[in-house]
Amino acid sequence: MKNKKIKEYLLRIPIYTFTIIFVVLPLVYMVIISFLTKAKTWGFDPAFTPDNYKKVFEPFYLNIFLESIKLAVVSTVLVILIGYPFGYFMGRLDTKWKRRMMMLLMIPFWTSGLIRLNGWIIIFRSNGVLDKLLMFFGITKSPLKLLYTYPAVLVGMVYFLLPFMILSVYSSVEKMDWGLIEAARDLGAGKIEAFLTVTLRLTMPGLLSGVVLTFVPSMGLFYISDILGGNKIVLIGSVIVEQLTKLRNIPFAAALSVILMLLTTLFLRVYKRISGTGELEGLF
Amino acid sequence: MKFKVLGLLGFGAILALTGCGQSNSGSSSQAQSSEAGKTDDSLKGTTLNLYTWDGMFPQEVLEGFTKKTSVKINYTNFDLDETMLAKLEETKGGDYDIVVADDYIVQLAIKDGLVAELDKSKISTYDNINPLFQGKFYDPDNKYTMPYGAGIPLIVYNPETVKTEITGYEDLWKPELAGNVGIVGNYRVIDGIALKTLGYSFNTNDLTQIQQAGDKLMNLAPNIRLINDNNLQDYLLSGEVGAAFMYTSQVSQALKANPELKAVYPKEGLGFGVMASFIPSKAPNAAAAYAFLDYINEPEVAAKCFEYIGYFVTNKAAEQYVSDDWKNLIVFPEDKLSLIENGELIENISDEANELHNKLWEEFRQKTN
Repeated sequence: MKNKKIKEYLLRIPIYTFTIIFVVLPLVYMVIISFLTKAKTWGFDPAFTPDNYKKVFEPFYLNIFLESIKLAVVSTVLVILIGYPFGYFMGRLDTKWKRRMMMLLMIPFWTSGLIRLNGWIIIFRSNGVLDKLLMFFGITKSPLKLLYTYPAVLVGMVYFLLPFMILSVYSSVEKMDWGLIEAARDLGAGKIEAFLTVTLRLTMPGLLSGVVLTFVPSMGLFYISDILGGNKIVLIGSVIVEQLTKLRNIPFAAALSVILMLLTTLFLRVYKRISGTGELEGLF
Repeated sequence: MKFKVLGLLGFGAILALTGCGQSNSGSSSQAQSSEAGKTDDSLKGTTLNLYTWDGMFPQEVLEGFTKKTSVKINYTNFDLDETMLAKLEETKGGDYDIVVADDYIVQLAIKDGLVAELDKSKISTYDNINPLFQGKFYDPDNKYTMPYGAGIPLIVYNPETVKTEITGYEDLWKPELAGNVGIVGNYRVIDGIALKTLGYSFNTNDLTQIQQAGDKLMNLAPNIRLINDNNLQDYLLSGEVGAAFMYTSQVSQALKANPELKAVYPKEGLGFGVMASFIPSKAPNAAAAYAFLDYINEPEVAAKCFEYIGYFVTNKAAEQYVSDDWKNLIVFPEDKLSLIENGELIENISDEANELHNKLWEEFRQKTN
C-alpha cells in the first residue's frame, strides 16, 4: 500500500518539475520584475517601486485594456455561436463521418497560422476574391474596402479560434449519454427543453474549456490585428510589445502582463459563475 | 528598421531568459585580446560570428570572404535591434565578432561598454566611407563604427491614382488622399513627420511640441488605410494604397517593380537612420572581424552589398560600381545632398518624450480605425 503511494508521487515528479520550471518560476520572475525600476539603457534596476502599477491605471492604458476585452468578448461570443452547433452536430455524426470531419478540421493546422491569415488578405483585398464574387452576383457595384477594418479582424479572430471551440464541444457531446435525452423526452420535456436542461448542462464543461481556449488567447492575438486590421486596432498585446522593445521599459511591460493575466482570470471566474460549472473538458 | 511579427512572438521568451543579463560567458573572453593581433594567415580555419538581421549580406559576398580568408561565417540573425542589445548585454559583449544594427541601438551598446574601439590601421578600406554618413550622434568621433547603408524614408505615390501633387509630408494630410495612404509602424518616424510639418525637430524633447505634433497627427487618421512595417511596397504596387511613406529598401523595391511611381524627397527635411557595423567589446575572433570589415568595404564588394539590401550607399568608392538600374535608387542624388546635410538622424530622446510619443501613436492608431 505504502509502496504504491510512493510510486504515485514519483510519477508526479516530472510534471511538477516541468510546471515549476516553465510556468511558476517565469510567473514569479515576471511579478518581481513588475515592481522594479527601468534601467537607463537596458534591463532594470533592483529598486522596488509600485509606480508601474499606478501607471497601468492611467485612463490611457485602461482604455486599451477595455478595447482588447471588447474584441475578445465579441470574438468569443461569435465563436460560441458558430462553434457550439458545429461541435454538437459533429458529435452526432456516425463514426466514419466523424473521422472525416476531424480530418478536415485538422488539415489547416498543417500550415502556420500566420500563413493562413495572409490567405484572408487575398480574399478581402480590394478586387480580391470576395469583391469579385459580390460584384459577379450584382450585390455590390464597385470594389469594397474590406481589408483593414474591424470586421476583417473579427473574421480573422473567429477563424483562428473556432477549431478550439469545435473540438472541445465535440469531445463533450461525444461522451454524452443520449439515453438521458430520451428519458427527458419520455418524461414530457419538449425538444428545446430537453436540450436546455440536459444536453447544454452536460456539454457545459466542453463549452467552458472552449471559452478558455478562445478567450484567453484572444486577449493577446495582436498580430491578427496587424495583418488583417492594418495595425489600426490597438490591443494590449501590441502595447506590451512596444513597451518591451521601443521603450525598453521591461518592468512596465511586466506590470501590464500581470494585470492582463489577472483580468483574464477574473473573466473566467465570472464565466464559471454564470455557467455554473467548474469542470473543464479535457483540460483539468 | 526591419520588423517582423514572427520575431515578436519569440521576443518575450528571449527577454524572460535574458532580461537580467546575469549570465557569465566570460570564459571565452580571456583569449581574445591576444588573438586580435594575428595576421591574415593565422585566421585560417577560424569562424566569424556575424550577428545581424536576416538577409543583410548577399551569399556571394559571404562566400567571397570565406574564399579569400578561409574563415567560415556563422551568420546568426535577430529580428529586432532590441533583441540584439539584450543578447549583447547577456554575453557582456562576447560571442559575436561583427554586429550590424540601427544607429540608435548602437549608441546604447556603446554607452554600455559593449563595443570595441576600432583600430583603423587594420581596415585598409576605411577611407572609402562617405564622410557624409560619419560623425553622427551615435559615434561622434568615429571611434567605434563604420556605416553600412543609410535608410531614408520617402513618400512614394502612384500619379495615376493620386490626383494631387505631393512634395512634402504636409501633403499627406490633403483630403484628396482620404483612406489612400499607407505608413510604416515606427512612431518616432511618423510622429516625427508631424513635428517636421510644424517646423520642429524629429528629436525634440519638448513635450509641448510633441503634444502639438500629436494633435496634428490625429487629423491624418482619416487618410490612413494601413500601417505596416514589413512589406508596404506590395500594397502600393497592388493598388491597395495610392501613396505610402516607407523605408528605403521598400522604396527601392517599389520603384524597381513599377518605375511609373514617384518618389518624393519631402521638402520639410529628411529624417533618416544609418545602419552601423561594429565589433563587440569581447569579440572572440576580432581579427577575423577586422578582415571582414576590410572586405565588405572594398568598393566592388560594397556595391554588391548595397544593391542586395537596397539601402543608400554609404561607401563613396562603391558608388561607381553600382549597376545602372540601381544607381538612381540607392546612390543619393548629387543635387539633393543638402537634404542629407540638413536632414536629421532619429536619435534617442528622453524617456518622458519617448513615452509621450508612444501614447500619441497608440491614440493615433485607434483613430485610424
